[in-house]
Amino acid sequence: MSIVRPIDFIVTHNLELRPAGLDPRDFSLLVAGFPNTRVLLLDPALPADQQEARLKAFLHEKARSPVVLAAMDPQTRGAVTLKLLLEKFQLNPELLTVVDLQAALENPDPKTRTLKALDLVRLAAVRVSRAVPLGSQEVPVSRRVLVWGDSYPALKAAGDLADLGYPVILATPHAPLSPLTPSAPQPQSPPEPLAALLQHIQDHPLLRPVTAAALLGFEGVTGNFTIRLCTPVGPLKEQVGAVILAPELEIAEAPERYGLPLHPRILSQTRLEQVLASPKEAAAMLDPQTEQVVVALMVGLAGASYPPALRRALSAASRLLNRSNCQVYLLVGDAKVAEPGLEKFLRQNQDAGLVLCKLSQLPEVTLKEDRPHLTFFDPVMRESLELAADLVVYEEAYRAASGNAELARLLRLQPAPLGFLQGDNVHNLPVATCRRGIYVVGPARAVMDLEEGLAEADAAVLAVQSLLGPGVASAPLGRAQVDRGRCVLCLTCYRLCPHGAIVYDSRADIKELACQGCGVCASECPNDAIQIRNCTDDQIRAHIRTLNPQLAPRLVAFMCRNSAWEAYQAALKLKHAALPLGFTAIKMPCAGKIDMDYLIRAFTHGIAGVLVLTCHPDNCKSHKANDHARWRVAQAQALLAEAGIDPQRLLYKSLAANTPQDLLDAVAQLRAYL
Amino acid sequence: MAFFNEKPVVVLGGGIAGITAALELAHLGLPVALVEKSPFFGGRAAHFACKATDTCQKCGACLVEQRLRDLIQESGVTLYPHTELIQAQRPDGLFHLTFRRQPQRIDPHRCINCGICYDECPAISQQAILTGSSPAQHPRYAINPAGCLYFRDGSCRICQELCFPKAIDLDRPETTFTLEAPALVLATGYQPADPRSRPHYGYGFLPRVITGWELEQRLRDGAALEIPGNGRPARSIAFIQCVGSRDQDHPYCSRVCCAYGLRLARLIRHRLPECRLATFYMDLQNIGLDAQRFQEEALAEVKLIRVLPGDVATAADGTIKLRYLDEVSGQALSTAFDLVVLAVGIAPGPENPRLAELLHLDLTPEGFIRSHDDLHRTATGQPGLFLAGTVEGPRSIAECIAQATAAVQQVRNYLEAAS
Repeated sequence: MSIVRPIDFIVTHNLELRPAGLDPRDFSLLVAGFPNTRVLLLDPALPADQQEARLKAFLHEKARSPVVLAAMDPQTRGAVTLKLLLEKFQLNPELLTVVDLQAALENPDPKTRTLKALDLVRLAAVRVSRAVPLGSQEVPVSRRVLVWGDSYPALKAAGDLADLGYPVILATPHAPLSPLTPSAPQPQSPPEPLAALLQHIQDHPLLRPVTAAALLGFEGVTGNFTIRLCTPVGPLKEQVGAVILAPELEIAEAPERYGLPLHPRILSQTRLEQVLASPKEAAAMLDPQTEQVVVALMVGLAGASYPPALRRALSAASRLLNRSNCQVYLLVGDAKVAEPGLEKFLRQNQDAGLVLCKLSQLPEVTLKEDRPHLTFFDPVMRESLELAADLVVYEEAYRAASGNAELARLLRLQPAPLGFLQGDNVHNLPVATCRRGIYVVGPARAVMDLEEGLAEADAAVLAVQSLLGPGVASAPLGRAQVDRGRCVLCLTCYRLCPHGAIVYDSRADIKELACQGCGVCASECPNDAIQIRNCTDDQIRAHIRTLNPQLAPRLVAFMCRNSAWEAYQAALKLKHAALPLGFTAIKMPCAGKIDMDYLIRAFTHGIAGVLVLTCHPDNCKSHKANDHARWRVAQAQALLAEAGIDPQRLLYKSLAANTPQDLLDAVAQLRAYL
Repeated sequence: MAFFNEKPVVVLGGGIAGITAALELAHLGLPVALVEKSPFFGGRAAHFACKATDTCQKCGACLVEQRLRDLIQESGVTLYPHTELIQAQRPDGLFHLTFRRQPQRIDPHRCINCGICYDECPAISQQAILTGSSPAQHPRYAINPAGCLYFRDGSCRICQELCFPKAIDLDRPETTFTLEAPALVLATGYQPADPRSRPHYGYGFLPRVITGWELEQRLRDGAALEIPGNGRPARSIAFIQCVGSRDQDHPYCSRVCCAYGLRLARLIRHRLPECRLATFYMDLQNIGLDAQRFQEEALAEVKLIRVLPGDVATAADGTIKLRYLDEVSGQALSTAFDLVVLAVGIAPGPENPRLAELLHLDLTPEGFIRSHDDLHRTATGQPGLFLAGTVEGPRSIAECIAQATAAVQQVRNYLEAAS
């Protein structure tokens, strides 16, 4: 028994406990037998005021000791009690632990249920008796914001932030500002709402546009980044609290994607739009005197294609169809119609005479008598067609800004597909990145319609406001601590921190505004210099040490709280989950905190089998912390094999929060092996 | 904002968009009332299955679960489950909204989620008792007056009699109440398109033809993929895309079905490596950030057939025969499948016309609520009333979250300008 300080136990007498062989009164008496403890037996169905009166008699004005709440389904059925404890009795959340007694009722044998329930509350008490309350601190932050890029979402974010009183640096490599409308021809002067965005940023006192800029340096952490910009008027060094990235897409002609020869009658989409905008050129290219002019538009036949490209092709098609002598073919691979109104637009064009041919491969282009000829297999007519076209128009390539790779390197962002800036992880959606305080909107994260990008600008502005507020941000105090006596400045933590939260002076220094408490640094530190508050090595070792050897088979599962722990909670609510009597779940803040030491130590304490359960690859909130756990398991297995212990007694599995069955399968798999 | 601060911003609809809006508003320190018509929060998206194979497929289902848990712990949001808007007025700039609230016939303090009421209910086929999808919901059962025999003719009180914690009281009266709200976010969502709009697929009378929505729920419950009727595991499954999208009745792309259809297929491939899979489609849409790579990977696991089957028939052995025109050979082919999954699209919510009338909003020809203009899809013609999520048109989970967050920013701007 290693409960190292007084604990207040609250046991709720839920109706189903007594029929299940776990009499709450007897159980409370047994709990009261632990050293250093007091016990309150509480009816969770009581109204809040009566519960408060009982809790007041037990805890007086304020909770002083850590509290263990043992109940059936405490998060929902004990919600009233939990709320009272945290709000009325000001219990620090770190000093409260809940035990779901359902885990004890899992056993088919009623006699062992009390034993199991006692073990559950004891383990909870062991861990929480070593807990330290987590404080909070006010961190001064810079209110200045860097908005990088000149897309309309960037302009909107910059303008809105400046309106809200945040000084903004709007920096872009382009000069002058050249925002694009991805799904429409680039106009000479933008239409009204967009022109207003451009106008708004020109003469705002808090907004400083910097064109032809290059980002040379980026240091520091959330709330206090230091940026170094190279501008035409000289270098600029500034502190910024947050960054919004929205560099404009690049729309490239890229005729090579379609393998097209150079020819005056083979045009890019932009070129066609220019032709259509100028009556003189249009008359030259699309002779109104001839009987028929054939135009072939090609979309979605080579490489990535997006709805904006189709919309532009359709806009051009409808203008062409308005000319009496135009016959327009749309040769399309996948027709990307997944934007509002696009399917309808396509149908309208078809009704107006557009010939739609869905092809499975690129048409062959040959030049005969000054006209491009297209040869392709028409799947509807089931024959090869040869089309003598007066104009062949190909869609353009939509690409992420070419400077993104360098930007990602400087800002230490996780790599993303196709040169975009948001790591491919759903937890970042919609606008977050792996680093707090750096947001990506619109063209920085995908090819999208202007409207979606502008909505994301709103979301990013909201995020910046809640982060920087009036210039002080609140952060937890003492979540991750560096023992400066042990740190040897090897920079392992600095390199591995998925959130970019670590800086260094003479020792590593963890900035709590950016830290998410995942614990990768603590587990990887070769000198054990970092501890995560309330998931310290001391706590986990005590937990493993006090596992009851009477409960067999002895299985321990280390669970990431984001996925496996939730799946475990859900599994307890399934009927017939039937977890083995000796199964113990240990909640970890993230798979990144599952130390090698814990895995080996479990075996030295006689545990029969150990499970490491993490989020699925690419779904970890801390980038690759789940991979770190997997690598550690592999290492530990090698060590176990060397020591003559069957390495398959240690099992790694990834699962999702809403797949409790996967958890049960993993337990069953290990159990079957043993 | 002193005047406005006392009155809650009302968010109508407790799905992913509504929950996101409510949470973000609460983070701003504004009081929020979240009103949901059904007894459970989470909406449609809370029924989706995680589609991870041995790696995350980025379907976003986990985001819903996460926000649902956050919602239950967020004290700034007042929850009104099983509550319907029946009247709306705006005489003085404030929305005066009258709601009808179904009582909690199952007392959450007493209910132990034993499920006896559900197991013993004689009218369960009429959905007399509804169940929640997520363990975060408590009680996980709710009595549905529309299906319950007691509310039809008073003939049955079996659940109340059997409930041993005495949590059920069928006689609790429903209540009406009025909220005065300075701003309103409309996030009432969508309904899955009715697969009977394509009657030749035989949904409704062929038991082996199911919808993607039904498949999601089966996978979520961890059920094996059995053939309805005979209990053997399915050895061949066909997915048919664009059911209730891109047709005469639904002249739009639902934007999510290719993504979920292919991900479900890949999940089944992962769970049942022996199963033969085919997806019939028109064009692949929105399948991921790196669509080409995803398509190549999917192609290795699922047969992609770029045509929609014309004809569905039952063979003698009970399998479903799909006839389609082969793109390469031009021949009509016929292939038998154990199970056919219709990837149903997003259809406008059934309440849209009523809500539009109550709140003086316009409908699009498709039946979604019309937004102000193409650049402001959260805004309506009315100041202080904003749209979020699929009430305005088809959207993915991630897009709903983005739009709901944008709507919150608009609410905030509106309230600051108004005070």
